[in-house]
Amino acid sequence: MKTSERILHGVAASAGISVGHAVRAFDPLFISFNYKLRGEQVRDEVARFKRSVEKSRQQLRRMQQQLKRRSGPESSFLIDAHLLILQDKLFVDRIIEKIQDEQINAEWGIQQVSDELFEAYDRLQDEYLRERRGDLDDIVRRLLHNLQANVKPSFKKLPYDAILVGRAIPPSMLFELRSQRIVGLVTETGSPLSHTAIMARSLEIPAVMGAEDLSGISPGDLLIVDGDSGSVICLPSKETVDEYKPRALNSRRTVRRRHVSSAPIMTIDGKRISLGANINFGEEVNAAIANGCESVGLYRTEFDFFKDGHERDEQSLVADYSQLLKIAKNTAVTFRTIDVGIDQKTWDGVNPNLGVRGLRFCLENQGVFRTQLRALYRASVHGTTRILLPFVSTVDDLEAARSIISEVRKELDRKHIAYDPNVPVGVMVETPAAAQTCDLMASHVDFFCLGTNDLIQYYLVVDRSDQTVMHLYNPFHPAILRCLNQVYTLLEPIAKPITVCGEMAGDPPSAAVLLGLGFTSLSVSLPAYSRIQQMIKSVSFVELRQMARQLLRMEKPKDVEELVRATLGARPA
Amino acid sequence: MKEREVVIGHRLGLHARAAAKLVQLSAGFQSSIVLVRTDDPQRSEADARSILSILLLSARQGSKLQVRTDGSDEDEALERICEYLAG
Repeated sequence: MKTSERILHGVAASAGISVGHAVRAFDPLFISFNYKLRGEQVRDEVARFKRSVEKSRQQLRRMQQQLKRRSGPESSFLIDAHLLILQDKLFVDRIIEKIQDEQINAEWGIQQVSDELFEAYDRLQDEYLRERRGDLDDIVRRLLHNLQANVKPSFKKLPYDAILVGRAIPPSMLFELRSQRIVGLVTETGSPLSHTAIMARSLEIPAVMGAEDLSGISPGDLLIVDGDSGSVICLPSKETVDEYKPRALNSRRTVRRRHVSSAPIMTIDGKRISLGANINFGEEVNAAIANGCESVGLYRTEFDFFKDGHERDEQSLVADYSQLLKIAKNTAVTFRTIDVGIDQKTWDGVNPNLGVRGLRFCLENQGVFRTQLRALYRASVHGTTRILLPFVSTVDDLEAARSIISEVRKELDRKHIAYDPNVPVGVMVETPAAAQTCDLMASHVDFFCLGTNDLIQYYLVVDRSDQTVMHLYNPFHPAILRCLNQVYTLLEPIAKPITVCGEMAGDPPSAAVLLGLGFTSLSVSLPAYSRIQQMIKSVSFVELRQMARQLLRMEKPKDVEELVRATLGARPA
Repeated sequence: MKEREVVIGHRLGLHARAAAKLVQLSAGFQSSIVLVRTDDPQRSEADARSILSILLLSARQGSKLQVRTDGSDEDEALERICEYLAG
């Protein structure tokens, strides 16, 4: 029995403590669980593996044909290498042996064999060859993808106190975290700014990211995730568990109903600040209403939209959205239309953060977009609906979206289906292009929503899911302050509502900067709601406005942060 | 069994493209074909039909390899493989 307690350090990404058993989530793209087979399952598992090899081979052949047509036979040689790996005994036969000898599932076999090969590659002196591990990495991802294509990850196999451990957990799979069985999250990559972390916080699942080498953790190991200090304790002693357990129980999702206050939120000098809640799942609206949130300033609809890995049909969306609006009663709900591609890595090397994301995706997949819009309009009779378009970089895209919206409305008119004709349509200001031209977009929209997470990522050219550059992601950077100041200045004369809904609004010092820059409407995640409410009630708006003027002249983020903290600290909490 | 020593002539050594071609060439023979790095103290070996093992040989231009063929067409296999490796 392993007994030596070991502490791994990472970054605190979602607060709280959890004690549970490790479950390996192997690949960044696909959550797969390692499990032992029963003797009679081995044959089927080998067959499943072989099918995924065959499917991968067919995909690669098709790709090769296309490449040959487009750019001649020379360019397709890299695909030859991939195809040859798929018939390589060292790889394929070894995986089959693993499945048979150790009676493990195909994903686990692939993981073991590829880990050995990766290690061998890493030992090579030749830098070019070391880089070739990328080919193997591609094949592994392809095989896993094809293994998983028709299989939904089964959460029934999970222990009731599962702690997901993996190199990365993609946000696209995060809706699965709603499974009550998952109590913690540990990843090697990612940062507190990644979508995964945002989701973990909104679900109140303790998470540590950027943890050093996790390969020593075996499935089933007892772990303590300390999301407050950013550390993970592997195989803790009984004394350690006893020490943590009471805190773990307290930090479990028990803090549902917080302070309910329906009084308008004002600064001490009487400035009315509107504070909304960001939600990722429809059911969170219950908590938002119970907590007395003034509005749902941002509902990220993509997680519910792609709930089971498939797109939803209109009827079920209408039912969900109507239900949500009924629960919200007269509280306005801002539905951000689906934004896909966030923080994801694709296996063909495309960076979706600079590619087909947000509205771009919707304009390319108009069927999906129209389905969602029809559902939103049909549900709009049940409450106060607002529609928000994400990731917009040109007025052309905005116009295209508006014309699709008016077509959808005409279609509903023709069919005599009731909807609210006054649903406001807004735009997310989250690309540098939108920040520079938000005034030019004004005539096409009814309101604005500032997405600071992406804005900071694109302004400071920092990939927020990349832990190595995370220290450069800083909302106090003068470039960000100037950008926000510019947006405010451009939009002030236009007098259309502006809400700031990024993570920045949920961090008290950053939120104080936003107020100082003039923004009077914020929307934050549920766990952050009460602390931002308290911050607002403890500050003077006039004082923050003065502070911001000083901030805008500062050179360094740390000086900015210092002054903000000093200004906040000077006030009684 | 036949064997012969050969010096890699390809400018980039046995990299992805050359390795892929070697596997394809080897697949045309019945005989087993093994490559041994004779200039390497560990004398690492590779199966000429396994692209991963060839890449892991990490053979460059000028590296010495011993080619061993064993089977019904071992002579022709040895001839063709050595010819290819010498570039």
